[in-house]
Amino acid sequence: MDEFASRQYPVKEHMRFQRRMWVVERIGWSVLAAIALLGLTGLFGNGWLSRGNAAGNGLSVEYERFERATRLSGFAFHFPPGGAERTLHLNRAFQRNYEISRIQPEPTRNQAEPDGLSLTFALPPEGGTVMLWAHARGYGIQHIIARSDNEPPLSFSILVYP
Amino acid sequence: MDSVLKAVVVFFVLWAIIRVSGRRTLGEMTAFDFVLFLIIGGSTQRAITGEDYSLTNALILVATFVVLDIALSIVDLKSPFMRRVLNATPTILVDNGHLLVRRMRRARVTEDNILEAARRLHGLERLDQIKFAILEASGDISIVPAIQQGTAETTAARRA
Repeated sequence: MDEFASRQYPVKEHMRFQRRMWVVERIGWSVLAAIALLGLTGLFGNGWLSRGNAAGNGLSVEYERFERATRLSGFAFHFPPGGAERTLHLNRAFQRNYEISRIQPEPTRNQAEPDGLSLTFALPPEGGTVMLWAHARGYGIQHIIARSDNEPPLSFSILVYP
Repeated sequence: MDSVLKAVVVFFVLWAIIRVSGRRTLGEMTAFDFVLFLIIGGSTQRAITGEDYSLTNALILVATFVVLDIALSIVDLKSPFMRRVLNATPTILVDNGHLLVRRMRRARVTEDNILEAARRLHGLERLDQIKFAILEASGDISIVPAIQQGTAETTAARRA
């Protein structure tokens, strides 16, 4: 008798179904392994695949390309040499979808504008870095635009997983 | 609305993961498996509740989970095919003392697992004392002992 033939006694077997189920099981294991491996690479945030940066003429930013809802993520805004007072303008998408938890250094002024949020920092003439920590709120792709003083805007997108 | 969707997603994803992990993990739970299940529970629990610890949210979640569970049990009752999908089917692993090795390999059951079940359930010592060993849908191995020659007759003779 073929080992994989269905037997009827003492229990009724469905070997064709069972063998298919064993295949499905193996596929499932590979999917789980793939999720774990992709997690290591940073496809789901916090890893080398997730490191992003955008640079314009002056201002540049390091951010997480992939992000998860409610997770705290960091943005590093690098300001080029310039005046003592620098402003960082962030668009509505940022204002609505991120809850800022900490900014280093603290802005000297923090105000709402019709199209977003404007933060003013006291920085040395040789420029410097502002770190902004925020929790992503919604999910989906967020198109963020950052602008410093009168420079052209810097736009970048972040995919936020639920 | 969010809570209900999250609960539905988590319910089916967890169901699929546990189903795909195979029957062995369900039936023969070791102390470590138990810890693993606690960790799985803990990590999904926070994803479902998020930062909403309200009574209303808890009520919505509990209702969703129980309704899904009842729905699955009804599907299970109505459709024999879905019963197989949801609960797996029994598989014979030992037929009249012979190991069905290829089946055992697929089901990730070893000869030691079968002998252990035979000892535990019937105090059997050898493979040839097993008529059937069946991997049940629940993940347990059940054993049908072979009737030992002479035993039944001697008992009957002693009684007479």
